[in-house]
Amino acid sequence: MSKTKTMPTLDLGARPRRVSRRALLSSVPALGGLLLTGCSRDTFVPPMVRGGLIGIADVLTMSTNRLLLSGQPLAREYQPSDIAPDFPTWGQTNPRDEKYQRLLRAGFADWRLPVSGLVERPLSLSLDDIKRLPSRTQITAHVCEQGWSAIAQWTGAPLLQVLNAAGGVTSGARYVVLDTVDGWYEGIDMFEVVHPQTILAYRMNGDDLPIGNGAPLRLRLERQCGYKNLKFLKSIQVVDSMADFGKGTGGINSDWGFHWYAGV
Amino acid sequence: MRNAERAEAQTCVTGREDSVVTSERSRAGTKEWIARHSYNVRICHWINVIACGYLLVSGIHIFLDFPELYWGHTGYQGYPAIFKLSDWGISWDDAGAMGNRMWGRNYHFTFAWVFLINGLMYVGWNMVTGQFRDRMLPRRDELTLVNLRADLRDHLRWLARKRTSTTSYGTLQKTSYLLLIFVFVPLLTLTGLAQSPGFTAAMPALLDMFGGRQSARSLHTIGTVLLVLFVVVHVLEVLAAGAFNRVRSMITGKHPLPEEGL
Ligand code: HEM
Repeated sequence: MSKTKTMPTLDLGARPRRVSRRALLSSVPALGGLLLTGCSRDTFVPPMVRGGLIGIADVLTMSTNRLLLSGQPLAREYQPSDIAPDFPTWGQTNPRDEKYQRLLRAGFADWRLPVSGLVERPLSLSLDDIKRLPSRTQITAHVCEQGWSAIAQWTGAPLLQVLNAAGGVTSGARYVVLDTVDGWYEGIDMFEVVHPQTILAYRMNGDDLPIGNGAPLRLRLERQCGYKNLKFLKSIQVVDSMADFGKGTGGINSDWGFHWYAGV
Repeated sequence: MRNAERAEAQTCVTGREDSVVTSERSRAGTKEWIARHSYNVRICHWINVIACGYLLVSGIHIFLDFPELYWGHTGYQGYPAIFKLSDWGISWDDAGAMGNRMWGRNYHFTFAWVFLINGLMYVGWNMVTGQFRDRMLPRRDELTLVNLRADLRDHLRWLARKRTSTTSYGTLQKTSYLLLIFVFVPLLTLTGLAQSPGFTAAMPALLDMFGGRQSARSLHTIGTVLLVLFVVVHVLEVLAAGAFNRVRSMITGKHPLPEEGL
């Protein structure tokens, strides 16, 4: 990391080398993508492999999914008419955290998202900063591991753009860890980070993200189950290992015993 | 013993009248035995039974944690459902207390792999060796209305034994195995995959094929009920045909030849 750099400006034009190379790799169609991303174990194996038959199945599931997805296709996008009338709010619907309640009352004007860790220029983004980044709008199905699914329109900044705003990731970056106001965290690997539909959403069905759906900012990870799509984001950090987080499995859901790779 | 093993390769339920008959005096007196099931079929069959058992129990756990079914892409609590367990006297909370989706998901996806790999090995072996054709494809002369009607009538009268000889499967038996293996199980697998957000990103055609994720979930559940019915009938048939000999033959491979020479 360069010490001479001054405070971050939102330099959106310049794509940092490392991320853009990954982005490039991932845009190569199936076979090329397979060969290139094939170099990285992270693409095929969870951060911590469970013991026994379940662990073998985890690796089989993740690697077959990733082989099939090596061309980085988009998850199905739907029509506005498909949008669910009342999208469920599950789990945490209004964090009791005092600081969060204060920010909420002020319309999230003072809310900040620190972006730290293995990035060129660690920084802290306001909601307006994030809204000024290039955005993406997508109508997708939220697939909850419980069994339900519902379609909504999400608008947000691609995670890749947020990392670009921080000057891009530095060498050794393997996972992006997202923390939430209510103490959840999930690590996601670079294969998902570079995907265009991986966005930090601040708008849902055209309005500001409702509290029950994770205001002011939530993750959309369209090719994985609901529990990976964290609400109430508090901070992001880029790391080279998940070992120091929770039980080291790579996320709070996998700490509890759910799949880390939630493409199923 | 050696003889019996060597003979086995050619004689398992081949449907041929000239099946080699071996006698195994050393072990079973003067009883005459026929090799009915090959190693491959026996091993795969019992692995499959274990995998199906785990898939069923874990699948029930997953279902109980969200005990409603919907049609289309969308479905959640409060959305118009096509099936509600609460209509059958089990409330959402009671169902949730019985089901454990974490355990369920972990074991469902693990034994889905066991089921798939085992199934592919079974199908591959039977394809390569031509066993499906020899043992399961009904012969032309079997597919007459008269024969099918007689087959059905005997089954309904608990006379499966009459239709399935020691050397070959009966016509309905053959047909139901083929439908199960080549139509039913592939569809059940696809309705499972059509629920996976990762898999459907790679193959969105699966969503169109079944009309959406919730339709796929409903069809997967209905398919499971049908599969359970298949297994119930399957086991009843084994009972009707002589459970001890049939199950023993699925374990040891050998089946005694009946004195009356059925
Ligand atoms: C406890 C449960 C089960 C028992 C006791 C059982 C028993 C048997 C027996 C004795 C046979 C040989 C029939 C004969 O020789 O005429 C057989 C064949 C077969 N069973 Fe099962 N079975 C069970 C569960 C299942 C399940 C769950 C499936 C599939 C979902 C299944 C699929 C088959 C198939 C496809 C065959 C024909 C195999 C071949 O010849 O290649 N069975 N079963």
